[in-house]
Amino acid sequence: MIEVKNVKKKYGKKLVLDNLSFTAAKGEITCLIGINGVGKTTIMKTIMALTPINSGEILIDGEKIRKESFEKITFIPDTITMLPQMKISDAFEFMADFYKNWNTQRGEELLHFFKLDPNERIADLSKGNMAKVNLLLGLALDVEYLLMDEPFSGIDIFSREQIAEVFTSHLIEDRGVIITTHEINDIEHLIDKAVLIENGKVVKEFNVEEVRENEGKSVVDEVYSK
Amino acid sequence: MKNYSKLVNFEISRFLKFYLILIGLTIVFQLIGAIIMSKEYVSFSNKVIYEEQIPVSQYIEQYGTFLFQNYINSVWFTMPIFFCIAMLMIYVFFIWYRDWFGKNTFIYRLLMLPTERITIYFAKLTAILLMVLGLISIQIILMAFEIQIINSIVPTEFQTYLSFNEIFKLQILSYLYPNTFTDFILIYGLGLILVAVLFTAILLERSYRLIGIFFAIVYVILSFGIFISPLLMDALYTDFFYPLEIFGMVVVTSIIVLVSTIWIANQLLKYKIRV
Repeated sequence: MIEVKNVKKKYGKKLVLDNLSFTAAKGEITCLIGINGVGKTTIMKTIMALTPINSGEILIDGEKIRKESFEKITFIPDTITMLPQMKISDAFEFMADFYKNWNTQRGEELLHFFKLDPNERIADLSKGNMAKVNLLLGLALDVEYLLMDEPFSGIDIFSREQIAEVFTSHLIEDRGVIITTHEINDIEHLIDKAVLIENGKVVKEFNVEEVRENEGKSVVDEVYSK
Repeated sequence: MKNYSKLVNFEISRFLKFYLILIGLTIVFQLIGAIIMSKEYVSFSNKVIYEEQIPVSQYIEQYGTFLFQNYINSVWFTMPIFFCIAMLMIYVFFIWYRDWFGKNTFIYRLLMLPTERITIYFAKLTAILLMVLGLISIQIILMAFEIQIINSIVPTEFQTYLSFNEIFKLQILSYLYPNTFTDFILIYGLGLILVAVLFTAILLERSYRLIGIFFAIVYVILSFGIFISPLLMDALYTDFFYPLEIFGMVVVTSIIVLVSTIWIANQLLKYKIRV
């Protein structure tokens, strides 16, 4: 389980995360929902120790992040994290070189699924294909937790459908996923838990299925009724 | 250790194209210089000998032989060296900043590698050191070719023989190729410490951004102060310390600066770095 406990984060004088707490369990898709600028990306970065926090604590399976954690958890930001001059196959090689948990077979499978050419240079990819490669580099790691920052942002409808398909496949099953979005409609039917964020604070945290069954409300209804 | 060597290899391969261009430019510029300078000497000597109708021995007496040091001190030889030094100094900054800026933020990947983050620092430092050592090694080989070229253009009676040992004592080369192994370790060790301090200063800026620039400047000044403190003491208390004692103190302060810079870099990469 990923536990974010009372995290405070300031950029200069601006308080971006204000005593923020939530949990994300393994085998569940947790969605951080909020408009642009509420601190969703910052939360992801703090979990991965890519930006320091001012106070609070973040635990992954009860432990603070350390180098070994990066074989357990990975982050797929909204920009590709490989060099533009690399071919997709070079990126694969890089990942296989550094990560024990890199699953080449799964990588190949995803390459096929997304219909990507391994000899294509990253710089030459379209925005949609770049997002797919980015996703692929995270999904082909045998990690227990996946953090995805706006995976649908600025992507055409066909690519969106392909990416959404991944969420219902064995590629996500049994893993803990935290996903951020400001467009709930895209993934509403995929998520297990929703965490609504406003001004760096969690304003609501609920199980999507329970709310649907008990109150007959969707995530969108909840967001607007809040 | 395995990840360290992979990262060093990766860093070098990222710079390789540009590095090869640097080497290529140095080779072309210096070789052209060697040809032009020796040809100019030969044509000048021919002109003087024919016009003034003097024997070779008298010409040499009046105008001298072709001196290799004139070539070494010429722009043809020194410019590419200074250019390489300048490029590598820029690269000290570029090696970090390129990972943050641009369309692809590679720093995400580097910081999420399942290895100690300080390994990235060591790999970048090693890459710079290897590139410097590579350039000075190539320069030695290049000089051997340049001597051959000059000797093939300038007739033997107009040449002055200089051994490699004597050549290395010539101005700029005495800095590039210190005479003793201890001097070599000292000069390149100091260079390495300087790069390490600059790396830490860059990390201070990357961690604290605007205020980090101030921290970085203060940190560099402080490190420099610690490093030169024995020399200041020597200047204040003239004839108080033996040279060996001063040397010992400089070694100690250098170690203090190096260890502290690595420690600070490690802390910044672990707890303070911002993407």
